[in-house]
Amino acid sequence: MMDRLIESVAQLILLLALAPLVTGVIRTLKARLQTRRGPAILQPYRDLRKLFGKGMVIPETASWIFAATPWVLFFSTILAGLMIPMVAAEAPLGLFGGVLAVIYLLGLGRFFLALAGLDTGSSFGGLGSSREMTISALAEPAMMLAIFTVAIGAGSTGLTEIAGAAIGQNWRFLAPAQMFAFAALALVLIAETGRIPVDNPATHLELTMIHEAMILEYSGPYLALVEWAASIKQLVLMTLLINCFWPFGLQPNWFGFGALEGIGWLLAKLLLLSCAIVLLETANAKMRLFRVPELLAVAFTLGTLALVSTFLF
Amino acid sequence: MTMKPLLDLQLGDRIVTLMAALVLVLQIAMVAQRWIVTHIRIFAAQSCFLAMIAATIAWFNHAPHIYIAAALTLVVKVILVPILFERLVERMDIQKEIEPIVNVPLSVVISGGLTLVGYVVAESFYRPDEPGLGHNALAVAISLFLIGFFTMINRRKALTQVLALLSLENGLFLAAISLTYGMPLIVELGVFFDVLVAAMVLGILVYRIRETFESMDVSRLRRLRG
Repeated sequence: MMDRLIESVAQLILLLALAPLVTGVIRTLKARLQTRRGPAILQPYRDLRKLFGKGMVIPETASWIFAATPWVLFFSTILAGLMIPMVAAEAPLGLFGGVLAVIYLLGLGRFFLALAGLDTGSSFGGLGSSREMTISALAEPAMMLAIFTVAIGAGSTGLTEIAGAAIGQNWRFLAPAQMFAFAALALVLIAETGRIPVDNPATHLELTMIHEAMILEYSGPYLALVEWAASIKQLVLMTLLINCFWPFGLQPNWFGFGALEGIGWLLAKLLLLSCAIVLLETANAKMRLFRVPELLAVAFTLGTLALVSTFLF
Repeated sequence: MTMKPLLDLQLGDRIVTLMAALVLVLQIAMVAQRWIVTHIRIFAAQSCFLAMIAATIAWFNHAPHIYIAAALTLVVKVILVPILFERLVERMDIQKEIEPIVNVPLSVVISGGLTLVGYVVAESFYRPDEPGLGHNALAVAISLFLIGFFTMINRRKALTQVLALLSLENGLFLAAISLTYGMPLIVELGVFFDVLVAAMVLGILVYRIRETFESMDVSRLRRLRG
């Protein structure tokens, strides 16, 4: 019991501390690749500190949903983060639910965010909410199919079992089913975290923004919470992707020097995935909104193929 | 010592299956692609993987004549045909965007369905008691045919139909090498020569269609010109 508590606290600290760093690293790498100097890697932390120190403006038309959303979003994301294996193969809150719980906790946060976008009555918020819901409704089936593929391989939807099964088999990720599922999940990751072919996290241009449109009315500490939750969500999804498919270096538990090694592996894999994301973002232009379903249809088809080829190969 | 060949065969099977899966993904990427030039390049990449499959089968089956097939694939389909087509696209100054008849998300989902059909059909050929190399590739090959046919029906412009035909031919090649470990060399040489000639003839034909009708839209061929 005590062990589990310590593990939870350790993973909580890791989640909270690492998430802005990942965002910062991606921004800096992207800037460097485009031969700009870009902000410092630690800039997201400074932004958070600055935002927490500021006052808030709450629209007159806003109801309690507006005030509740940042908290719901933040805590549901953290809870989801505690259910995935990050350093140890066993997730601290793995007993409370498997991968489905993770997906729907993230879904809960997204639902409230969309409500908050509508709540203020500004036209941009509503526009952002409708776009976000359209995209997530298309992304979710693809994600489910990919996850089920992995779950069939492991015989369980528990993430601890999935990671454990993945550790057992060397080179399993070279199997076509795994590869399809990985590709589908990677496409979903891009759509869900609002990365470039789908959404541009660095713009406030009204025609293109999705996530930014929903949180346009937030300011001060609430904005900080929402931004922090967004970066934690990104970290959670990235960790989910890498630990389901490349579980190298996952430790049996959080204690001893193994934990340091595990954190090292996690950082290395996250850096690798960030580099891939940066390359993808730099090489591609943002898609028109009506082209996004095409990308997600590809993800869906890949997910279907993954599930089918589990039974055949 | 006796385990070694079997292990080798398993490794070879892994590699072939993986590459076949990549070929399939590229085929679906072609269905989803809207830009002709990218379409041509995806075709080149697909053919490159195909050449790698052929080389892998040649290596693990100790069948040196398949190397020649692999090399020919590399030269003809990865280098010559794409260059030919890219020049054609440049020279004709055609509209660079492909307009499929069925919209893209639906086409992609349909190709997924066709892949399912391919798998179901291939399953009846599956013999678990014969340890072979790349029998999984047959399912992919049949899917390639079906998606290739579908793409041909789905496209309006002659050039993209030709590309679909060539990817269909890739499926044929995959089926041939995965089932028979290489046809007799003379047959393969003939097939490659055919592909090259077909690509050239079709290229000229596309150019003529475009010259005569000021469009590559084949549906205009139905109208008589007086």
